Amino acid sequence: MPLGKIRKESQHFVPPRLQITSMMDMFTIILIFLLFSFSNKPETMTLDKDFKLPKSTAELDYEDNINLALSQTSLELGGEVIATVKNGRVVGLDPHNLKTSRLYERLRSSRESADKLQGHGNPKQHILFLCDKRLPFRTINSVVKAAAMAGYPNFQFGVLKK
Amino acid sequence: MSKLGRYRAPTGEQTDIDMVPVMNMFLVLIPFLLMSVSFFHIKAINTSVPVLAQSKDGADKQIQEKVTAIVEIEPTGFHVSAISDSVGYDVLDKWDRRIAKEGKQAYPLNRLVAQLNEMKVHYPASDTLIIIPEESIIYDTIIQAMDVARYHNNDSLFPNVVLSGKLG
Repeated sequence: MPLGKIRKESQHFVPPRLQITSMMDMFTIILIFLLFSFSNKPETMTLDKDFKLPKSTAELDYEDNINLALSQTSLELGGEVIATVKNGRVVGLDPHNLKTSRLYERLRSSRESADKLQGHGNPKQHILFLCDKRLPFRTINSVVKAAAMAGYPNFQFGVLKK
Repeated sequence: MSKLGRYRAPTGEQTDIDMVPVMNMFLVLIPFLLMSVSFFHIKAINTSVPVLAQSKDGADKQIQEKVTAIVEIEPTGFHVSAISDSVGYDVLDKWDRRIAKEGKQAYPLNRLVAQLNEMKVHYPASDTLIIIPEESIIYDTIIQAMDVARYHNNDSLFPNVVLSGKLG
């Protein structure tokens, strides 16, 4: 009987096939983009979320240097917090006696190690200085002076590309 | 009826490529790369801080007249001046000018550029600028001043920037 045959055929359940071609397209594009970003500058730098760098037309790429980051709340050397900042002043950094500061001691020992390594390897010669754009010069002045006295008078000021 | 009609070369079956291992690899790689991606690019401005022991080239004789531009950033505006080993004081006094802010507006960077450009035209061998901000000047203003003082319309003005505090 024809009606009976139709009923039997309609009970066949065909599982739906997942169309992943579009997803593959998307993943391929994202992957290529991320690979290019990763190969551009593989080293990482962690900054506070409310850290704001100034914008500039500078085009020079920064070199692998000693990282010194001054935010509104802390001073970090090589990723390690070495002092806090309160009311626009670095705690433990006396502007009239910079040599007693932890920053000076750390940079001084780094300078002495770099001088011993001279001719062996590639010691870091500059400081990459990352500073929050809202800080006044009085805060920055003590920090850069201490660094200069410790033997690092040359800086690279980190900025965001405009 | 010929039996040949029933015999037909079998049509090639369509085989689907198994995408699961590829998807697996993507799902591992992409989160890893996302964690290391940077969405902003950091550039650098080379600058230095004056140090007492650094003046080694005092004995070099300047064949071309050269000046060192000084820009003092004050809360009321810019104070531009120049120092030199080869140019007389009476000539250097001509470059002592103040560029005042108009009310509470932003610093007049375009007028600073014009002033420095004029200095550069007179002394093309000059390449050093000293920026002396007052203590209350914010870092962003210092960077903007450095930016305009180093290059103007793709021409180099004073690419060597020295940042110094006020003495006294």
